[in-house]
Amino acid sequence: MDTRSVLKRIGFWFLYALIVVWMLFPFYWAVNSSLKNEAQLQMTPATFVPRDPVSNAFSATLQNYGAVFQNESFVRGLLNSAIVAVSTTVLALMIGAFAAFALGKLRFRGKTPSLYLILAMTMFPQVAVLSGLYAMITFLGISARPSMIVTYMLFTLPFTVWVLTSFFKGLPTEIMQSAEVDGATAFQTFYLILLPLTMPALVTTGLLAFIAAWNEYLFALTFTSIEPTARTVPVAIALFTGEIARQEPFGEIMAAGIVVSIPLVILVLIFQQRIISGLTAGAVKG
Amino acid sequence: MAKKSSGMTDLAKAEERLAYWLLIPTFFIIVAIAFYPLGSVFVNSFTNKIFASETPTEFVGLENYKNLVSVTIRKLPPIIDQSTGQQALDPDTGEPQYERAINVLPREPARYRELTQFNLFGNRYVMGAVDRDFVRSVWDTVLFTVATVVLELILGMGIALVINSFPGTSVARAAIMAVMLVPWAIPTAVSSRMWQWMFGSTRTGFFNVVFQILGIGNGQIAFLTDERYQLPVMIIIDVWKTTPFMALLILAGLGLISRDIYEAADVDGASKFRQFVSMTLPLLRPTLAVALIFRTLDALRVFDVFQIVLAQSRYSMASYTYYQLIGARAMGYSSASSVLIFLLIFVFAMAYIRFLGVEAD
Repeated sequence: MDTRSVLKRIGFWFLYALIVVWMLFPFYWAVNSSLKNEAQLQMTPATFVPRDPVSNAFSATLQNYGAVFQNESFVRGLLNSAIVAVSTTVLALMIGAFAAFALGKLRFRGKTPSLYLILAMTMFPQVAVLSGLYAMITFLGISARPSMIVTYMLFTLPFTVWVLTSFFKGLPTEIMQSAEVDGATAFQTFYLILLPLTMPALVTTGLLAFIAAWNEYLFALTFTSIEPTARTVPVAIALFTGEIARQEPFGEIMAAGIVVSIPLVILVLIFQQRIISGLTAGAVKG
Repeated sequence: MAKKSSGMTDLAKAEERLAYWLLIPTFFIIVAIAFYPLGSVFVNSFTNKIFASETPTEFVGLENYKNLVSVTIRKLPPIIDQSTGQQALDPDTGEPQYERAINVLPREPARYRELTQFNLFGNRYVMGAVDRDFVRSVWDTVLFTVATVVLELILGMGIALVINSFPGTSVARAAIMAVMLVPWAIPTAVSSRMWQWMFGSTRTGFFNVVFQILGIGNGQIAFLTDERYQLPVMIIIDVWKTTPFMALLILAGLGLISRDIYEAADVDGASKFRQFVSMTLPLLRPTLAVALIFRTLDALRVFDVFQIVLAQSRYSMASYTYYQLIGARAMGYSSASSVLIFLLIFVFAMAYIRFLGVEAD
């Protein structure tokens, strides 16, 4: 290799490292802060690893992690988030798969307007219906958790239908025809033959719906305002009050943030390919 | 299968009936959680409804909208020094003095508050609004949207090109893709809190430490409370979180471009830069346009980061609407602001759908 291409390689690796540091540094700083006690958090200048204020030696503590797991509202938040995110994902997949099968494989009048409507709904701004939904929920007296499960379909369902429809379209029509010849009804074809084939797409859209629901903040904050026990994790973290500290307990907040991020990071590592293909499916026509 | 020409066969009718049955749940939900509440928001926006209050709700026509969007510009007359007949100067700064804005802005039928002052053709003007916070939130949200979308596009393009130079099967590529998904995947509530801590106003905050080492500031920069820094901080946080998404979209678009054309261009002696401008960019245009509109719609409704980091010291359109609803319980007023956001986003969304198009078969 000549000098120029060596320099070029070095340049690329430098940029590569820069991107990685940029993406991960806030996490590093959060981990670093979560391992400090109150006194260490107040040290100026802030240290890049937890250090003892007096001897300046490395000294880390896990007390913040202990504290967040004793924090009732945080632990309850984890449970609430899990219930809400799983339920809304399952509902969106079930209902969405029906609609996607119709839109992707059946012939009927009104198909094009239906598709337009679904596509438009994928971009529907939640804030536009905030006060309307809030009034409706209060009027009907629905408690916060079921409210979140149902209203989260505002963003999970249209997306699910849209991605699954394109997947159904891609399945060969011959499968349906041969099933019909064998005497299966269209619904049996869907249920027994097509649905198992769509498993990969269901996993992808399910993951994305789960992550979106797990991270949702606006509806969760609004609907749990009078029912604090139903708060999900993002709301719990945004409104975090500490067990140890008197001021804003950033050590505990960072620890809580790391705890919440870990399951998502694991999901991302396992399903990286699926998530990327799902994310780009809606946007790039390939 | 069924032919449509000679009326519909039984089979086709059955197929159509099944399709409608399968679509009913989806459309029922869309009507229940989108159309119906949207309709009630629209109706409420013409009332003075206060949530959970004894005050009877009255129809107020366009009053809410008028309050939200009323903006005026008035000329500020100079203060004349009686002894010299010239415009008075500030004794400390030597700046020319003008009438106070509060004396110039109209008070009837609604009180206008000062938004900003500016000079034009040697005259001084003041811009006032009835609802200063809302008008400012619109302005801030639009600025935020333009800045984040442009920055994310440029940085996302750069990152995509760097990653694309690594072979598709390499470990380095898989690793960086995983790294990039992390900011996207974690809740904005969490990342907002992480950045809020890093932007602390003393040297317990990362940025104040670094800036002081670099010789910028005194280690006490109030990033989150100083008006000059609030918006840039919001933009930095959003760019960090969303650039990876942009990069992944662009990368997917790059993957669709055949490598052969680059080999051909190499043979023809076209420079890499020339190849980028005349081949890559035009071929990426559909991807870029879609990514742009996606991000624009998303940025216009930004809520989490504004509400968590800035609370009520500065608003986005969405966080303003939220505080009107939950803080002030002004259901009618917040509905009107919802409708305005919806209209703004609707216009963009229509453009997007026209661009992407729908293929029914």
